[in-house]
Amino acid sequence: MIGDVNKLVRYLAYTLEILVLFMVQETPGLLPAIGGARPVLLFPAVVTIAMFEAEVPALGFGVLGGLLCDFGFSGMLGFHALVLGLLCFFISLSVRVYFQSNLATAILTGVWSIGLTVVAQWFFLYFFQYSHPAYAFTHHYLPKYGYTLLFVPLVYLLNRGLSQALRPQEDSRL
Amino acid sequence: MKDFFKTSSFKVLAIVVVVLLGLIIYTATAGGSLLANMLGFVTSPMQSVSTMATGSVTEFVDLDALSRDELRTMVESLTQENAQLREKLVDYDNTLQENQQLKVQLKITEEAPENTLRAATVIGRDPNDVFYGFSIDQGTLAGVEVGDPVITQQGLVGIVSQAYATTSKVTNILSEDVKVSAVVPARGESGVISSDVTSASAGLLRLSYLASDTQVQPGDIVTTSGAGSTYPKDIIIGQVQSVQKAENDISYYAVVKPYEDLNDVEDTFVIIDFPGAGDGEELFTQEDPDGKEDAE
Repeated sequence: MIGDVNKLVRYLAYTLEILVLFMVQETPGLLPAIGGARPVLLFPAVVTIAMFEAEVPALGFGVLGGLLCDFGFSGMLGFHALVLGLLCFFISLSVRVYFQSNLATAILTGVWSIGLTVVAQWFFLYFFQYSHPAYAFTHHYLPKYGYTLLFVPLVYLLNRGLSQALRPQEDSRL
Repeated sequence: MKDFFKTSSFKVLAIVVVVLLGLIIYTATAGGSLLANMLGFVTSPMQSVSTMATGSVTEFVDLDALSRDELRTMVESLTQENAQLREKLVDYDNTLQENQQLKVQLKITEEAPENTLRAATVIGRDPNDVFYGFSIDQGTLAGVEVGDPVITQQGLVGIVSQAYATTSKVTNILSEDVKVSAVVPARGESGVISSDVTSASAGLLRLSYLASDTQVQPGDIVTTSGAGSTYPKDIIIGQVQSVQKAENDISYYAVVKPYEDLNDVEDTFVIIDFPGAGDGEELFTQEDPDGKEDAE
């Protein structure tokens, strides 16, 4: 019973975190642009949440973060939700089966998973629709990727704190 | 691995993937959805508050960062500009009066067409949009519709591409998706305003399809022509920076610098209605990437 309450509070905390980070990334002028690029805070948020949760909740938070990205980007919902949902599911699975969750693995996971998301964005949302794809990749997508990666350690530590604080003692030891 | 496909987690994943694929297809074909409206209801109040707070802090910090000398210079420059504008206002009033008298003498009557404007504030700017699109805090409940032009006091900045109940997405005129039929009033020459990712990065537009003997000069003002009825006539777009020969044909194009900093728009007006709206073909389309037919 206490475990259920803890789980509920933890999920609410993650949801609130996702909403706040969405607001921060979307607010004009709040985060300075570097080389014209601004970070996508929801990517590191859902990826690091997935490292602390089981597959299905990780999938859920991936989909939620992805839907917000879709909503912020354009009216076509589903693309980011699908990519981030799938990634979070497999990140959660791999963390449970293959490696431990720590800062180094979080950064490594962030590098490949956010890289994959950014490449998918460029390929599916830019490459076939607009001109100068190489220019767009080097001048927009790569700087955004690099800037976003800077937030992975910070968001990882935040989520680790949330996860440890809002998890029953016996679960935290696992 | 074999067991993985039998787990309940995999079944949930499969269902979610199918639902999301359906959502992609639905929203790509039908446009806005209930889910998008719900997300708008949840996020737009938070975004409005956050934008207002950020704006206030930025304004305070900006003014505070200026030295006494810089503030004095700014006041002097504004005072001078104010005096010049007052002189121009007197000329304008005289011209207006003369114009009205001439109209009476010549028995010219005309309707006074006016645009219906709705003030809107920029509440979101998505980092994933390479063409600097933004969200505004007005939606269909305020009469905003897809295709409505968005302007500032400096001129045209974009077009509404998605309208939800309380928010709307605006596609910047720097986007490759937007083509605007434009004219250089001083020369009587028309063309199509467009952009791509390279010019968008520099905040510049391109006025294409100028004749090889074009008279357009740097400094000329470019406005909307009203052709196609997507945009009202005479909305300022920008100023010609240079005129160059097109790479692929014998026509020329002008590089246009908008008066507004299109990467940093804050307060806008949505033109929700204007005389002749929607009478012709739309230029906001990807099917006609050149937009040349509409422009002519």
